[in-house]
Amino acid sequence: MVYVAGIDIGSAFSKAVVMAENKIIAYQVLPSGGNYKLTAEQVTEKTLTKAKLSLKDIAYTVAIGYGAASVSFSSETASDISCLARGVYYLFPNARTAIDIGGQFTRVLKLDGRGKATSFLLSEKCAAGSGRFLQVIARVLQIDLEDIGELSLKSKNRVDFNTGCAVFAESEAVSRVAEGAAKEDILAGLHRTLAAKIQTMVERLGIEPDCAVVGGGAKDIGLVRSIEAGLACKLLVPDEPQIVAALGAALLAGEKVAKGG
Amino acid sequence: MSEEKKPEERKKRRTATEAAAKIGPIQKANIQGVAQAREEGKKVAYTFICCCYDEIIRAMDIVPMWTETYAGICGAKRDAQRFLERAESENFSRSLCTYALCGLGFDAWREELGEMPPEAPWGGQVRPDMMLGSGQMLCDPRNKWYQAAQHYMPDVPIYDVGLPWPPYEDDYDYREVQDYYVKYIVKELKGLVKFLEKHTGKKMDWERLSELVDLTDKTWNLIWEAYELRRAVPTPMGTGDAMNTMVPMVFNMGTQEGYDYYKDLYDELKLKIANKEGVIPDEKYRLVWGGGLPSWFALSDFNYFNSKGAVFPVETTYRMIEAIYNFDMDLTKITDPLEHIAWRWVKFWTYWHDRARKRPGSHPDVERLIKYIEDYKIDGIVMHEAFSCRSWHVGLIWQLNQLKRVYRDIPSLILESDIVDISSYNEADTRARIDAFIDTLEAVKSR
Repeated sequence: MVYVAGIDIGSAFSKAVVMAENKIIAYQVLPSGGNYKLTAEQVTEKTLTKAKLSLKDIAYTVAIGYGAASVSFSSETASDISCLARGVYYLFPNARTAIDIGGQFTRVLKLDGRGKATSFLLSEKCAAGSGRFLQVIARVLQIDLEDIGELSLKSKNRVDFNTGCAVFAESEAVSRVAEGAAKEDILAGLHRTLAAKIQTMVERLGIEPDCAVVGGGAKDIGLVRSIEAGLACKLLVPDEPQIVAALGAALLAGEKVAKGG
Repeated sequence: MSEEKKPEERKKRRTATEAAAKIGPIQKANIQGVAQAREEGKKVAYTFICCCYDEIIRAMDIVPMWTETYAGICGAKRDAQRFLERAESENFSRSLCTYALCGLGFDAWREELGEMPPEAPWGGQVRPDMMLGSGQMLCDPRNKWYQAAQHYMPDVPIYDVGLPWPPYEDDYDYREVQDYYVKYIVKELKGLVKFLEKHTGKKMDWERLSELVDLTDKTWNLIWEAYELRRAVPTPMGTGDAMNTMVPMVFNMGTQEGYDYYKDLYDELKLKIANKEGVIPDEKYRLVWGGGLPSWFALSDFNYFNSKGAVFPVETTYRMIEAIYNFDMDLTKITDPLEHIAWRWVKFWTYWHDRARKRPGSHPDVERLIKYIEDYKIDGIVMHEAFSCRSWHVGLIWQLNQLKRVYRDIPSLILESDIVDISSYNEADTRARIDAFIDTLEAVKSR
């Protein structure tokens, strides 16, 4: 059996996927922290342990993400976009549009029917359209990141925000807390703000069904619902949306092995 | 404090052509020549590139100090931040044009010291005898910048030349109104000559002006012919080089040196084509730089594109000429030099109007892209949105959308940063975007 690996060292989370014969054997997600090199080693080691393998069993490793250059044991680095496209195609072959909500950026991709991205857009460099926005607000509201989605769905009286800027939204959220607004209403408002940013990007690129949403932000059901409402379409969400780019990197590693790389 | 900051040492950028490689010394000589000319008692004028009245300045023996360009040089040398910060401390907003901010910060500092700021790039921006704005053209700093600079130099007079051109509308022929525009520009240029005569104490030499106008026409034709050679596959020169070779186009118009430079470039490109010598040996993707000024501190990104097999045979930025003989009128028949300049100006800015009217929903800027895509066998478009330059950068996305609507979908990449402010730039992010774009180009090509 030939084993391959995809490692995605993102700005917020790092992910590793080990595959064999085009099937996922094991995966792991860890916070990236401040030392990408160490995180790359840890996330890989934990994944290999789950797979009952060691690094020497891996025939080819593709690294992607902000800290790709820190993965000293990778066979090569690749672009996030092409790996995302592969990962989405593997999970949802009929998807022609993909939204990736990451910690640093949101990306929107148009896909062909072969797992290739034919065009893409990235959010602006500020945090307004990215998952970082949610992290900032979770801290302000003192709730766990993974709880904000479900909580926001309980909103009965959404608080609308005047800004799409994460920094201004933080201070606005603080003001709303001081005014006594419920956390779920604040979260619902913030989801709408972030969803509107993402919706603009999707509309700029042109939506073509099916549309998938991946990345850490896709774990936030409140955000997903808000995007669906804005785009008036049902989004495909994988069981583990955070690992899709790493999965694509592993698929690329598999292609390299098949080509004799 | 900003005074203590030192510019970052950088490696020289690799160029494909000899012509581009020799621009550094030419540019430096241009800037340092201003200080030399000042010492010799010549009059110095702050002015803007592509101002249309180059020959008038030259004919009056006035030495131009190109202020936007000086800011660009500070940016390219990664030594603009201290001037930007100085402007900010003078209460100018950081969201204004960073060329203007850099220049204003420099002026404020120089006027306070009574000498050049320490280690000013290439000797610094020389205090002018006059400032010549170019209002109604391209952007508001072209007339507001010098008004602001006058806060620091209240004794330096300003003349602001209005240079409009007929706007594009699909339901009228601009020729219906072009005469009015020419008349207006001629009046403005006459006012400029009068202003220069007053402040130099010299009379205009009209015969010399006519000679320089003819020389500029010849230079425009030659540049166009040289740049068209880049259609060749592999292309002998890319946009990275063009960001150098544009220097005489905007610095040395109306001079024999400018003409000679493009003759050398033309000959060099011809030779490269004969030898099948391209920017890179294995050209995979041909791109158009479809708008936006470049990040002067990150021109090596063009080399990064090259390393991925991508070349830029053509660009819309700083191609501020057309072949005079392609205009819809015989410009040689306009013998009055001021009228000639005015007609050349109007014909340049309306050059793509007719094509646009033939394609419903199109626009002159979109037509220019379409023509370049076809003539230069282009696979994708790259644009740059510089946050501080609204006039040139607003509308780029709209152009892409219209292109898709009236022509076809073509892979595109929009880079985000600034012209001068390096704090807006992230190399890792920019290159990740380029990598992803190359992947999409490959995906589209392999369909």
